[in-house]
Amino acid sequence: MRLLLVEDDAMIGESVRKGMQQDGFAVDWVQDGRAAELALESNPYDTLLLDLGLPRKDGLAVLASLRRSGNAIPVLILTARDAVADRVKGLDAGADDYLVKPFDLEELAARIRALLRRKSGRADPVVQVGGLILNPATREVTLQGKPVSLSAREFGLLHALAERPGVVLSRAQLEEKLYGWGQEVESNTVEVYIHSLRRKLGAQAIRNVRGVGYMVPKST
Amino acid sequence: MNSIRRRLLLWLLSGLALALAAAGARIYTQTLDEANALFDYHLQQMAASLPDDAFEPLPPSKSGGADIDDGLVVQIWDRNGLQLYFSHPASKLPQRAELGYSTVETARGSWRVYSALEQNNIVQVAQPMSVRRNLAAGMALRALVPLLALLPLLGFLIWLTVGRGLRPLDQMAAALAQRTPDSIDSLPETGLPQEVRPLVHALNGLLARLARALESQKAFVADAAHELRTPLTALQLQIQLAERATSEAERKTAFEQLRRGQLRATHLVQQLLTLARQEPGLAARPHVAIDLAEIARLVVSELAPLAAEKNIDLGMDEEQAATISGDFEALRVMLGNLVDNALRYTPAGGSVDVAVRTRDGTAVLEVSDTGPGIPEEDRERVFDRFYRREINQASGSGLGLAIVKNIADRHQAAVALENRAPGPGLRVCISFPLH
Repeated sequence: MRLLLVEDDAMIGESVRKGMQQDGFAVDWVQDGRAAELALESNPYDTLLLDLGLPRKDGLAVLASLRRSGNAIPVLILTARDAVADRVKGLDAGADDYLVKPFDLEELAARIRALLRRKSGRADPVVQVGGLILNPATREVTLQGKPVSLSAREFGLLHALAERPGVVLSRAQLEEKLYGWGQEVESNTVEVYIHSLRRKLGAQAIRNVRGVGYMVPKST
Repeated sequence: MNSIRRRLLLWLLSGLALALAAAGARIYTQTLDEANALFDYHLQQMAASLPDDAFEPLPPSKSGGADIDDGLVVQIWDRNGLQLYFSHPASKLPQRAELGYSTVETARGSWRVYSALEQNNIVQVAQPMSVRRNLAAGMALRALVPLLALLPLLGFLIWLTVGRGLRPLDQMAAALAQRTPDSIDSLPETGLPQEVRPLVHALNGLLARLARALESQKAFVADAAHELRTPLTALQLQIQLAERATSEAERKTAFEQLRRGQLRATHLVQQLLTLARQEPGLAARPHVAIDLAEIARLVVSELAPLAAEKNIDLGMDEEQAATISGDFEALRVMLGNLVDNALRYTPAGGSVDVAVRTRDGTAVLEVSDTGPGIPEEDRERVFDRFYRREINQASGSGLGLAIVKNIADRHQAAVALENRAPGPGLRVCISFPLH
């Protein structure tokens, strides 16, 4: 799951990026409104974390033009403006959620998961495909009731695939979901993670569609 | 008894009483004059019209004491000074008097006397002056008594009218009593008497200034609370990251970040305190004679270690003796902020110069750096509290220049920002009036 973080304060931005990476998200971080728009145009993101008081272009203005252009990406506003009127304004401008600073990393991650869940049309936080159950909150995976231990990247990859069973994701798409900017993507890492997942979950858990990509088959 | 109502009542009634007294005196003297003329004529007529038989000596018993009240006393002498007639022997009047009118003082008061030569006899008609005076006094009293009786009524009317006239003051007091620090809207100025309007107008001016001051205080507190959120948020996140750290190296990095975050929060709080202390309106320390060069040397030596750490060449460029009148501590804080700012924005290997010179009757304190400078369009806004121009790499509080401006304002000094030529770099000039 790839997030775009727009935060002008260096310390907060640094910490949020680190924290969200530890929770298995790929995070791109920009520090002003213009850069955010540029990043949104050129990359697909699963969620936008948006500060409001931004240099060059205000967060609300970024949000408004984003929604005008028809982009439905889930947006979570992160701001110090805590007045009810501000929150109403933010939500009415098209935000999906509103988190007031100072906030907790765990809560931020939980809210991001909730946004992603709603985006995929599910109410149950737990992703279940056949005998495979993923809990994004705890990053626990069980196969036929038995726990499976996965690394953060492995979990991210499996989550991306299991969330939309039957849909084929290309290697590039998977890489985008796994890596933020500045993180070196080695040429065959996706294959390495797929290999390791198959070893842990069984060869049939992830199908290779030759020349196109990978998918988790729909349960029959 | 400091009451306008009572004072007005007292003064108006006293004035009225004085006027009545003056009118009474005037009536008295005028009546007396008229009575004098009339009675003098009367005396003459009487002397002329005395019948001849009156010249016969009369027994004194014929006249009683009561007759004296009528006033007229008649004496007649013959040429030889023999008294032929005396209507009131008890009245001790001068035996002889010159002819014509005269006023004679006796033990029983003064008398008006008319003497005439009538058929070889001297006829003297006299009248006590008190009769005339009583008549005049009676006239005056009759005129004044009804007016005096009206005085209490007048007093009552004055009391009422003044009370009514002062009612706008009571209404104003009631309206003011309702004002609280939360609702200091202005008092209505329409329909007020001309005398009260300036007071209400001045009060409204004060209320408006108070409202502005309160508003700016509230804004300051709100801004401050808002600004504190940023470093506190960073601290909370950094603490969480430190808690999550699994390896020694990660923990070390996390704590290093945490320490930087804590330093930033401390810096912000310190700057807030400085700004609050420099807010105009607080009891300012008395201004003393200060040599700007001394402050410059002090600040440069204080910040030299920081400059050395960042590999920036910090030094004094030029120092002319420039003595101004000011608050030493405040000026030190101001220059400290300027140099600190310059050090923040100047890249390693750059230089920051402090200069003191006198120019056209002003003392100029100048700080120039080799940082990025400030574009023209931002030069007004940088003095706003919490305004940060660029993405916050330099982690300033956003208060430095606001503090500088506050202190400069208190010293009637002008602050000018200009880009250094040849650039890049910023030059801040503070010009103090020379005393």
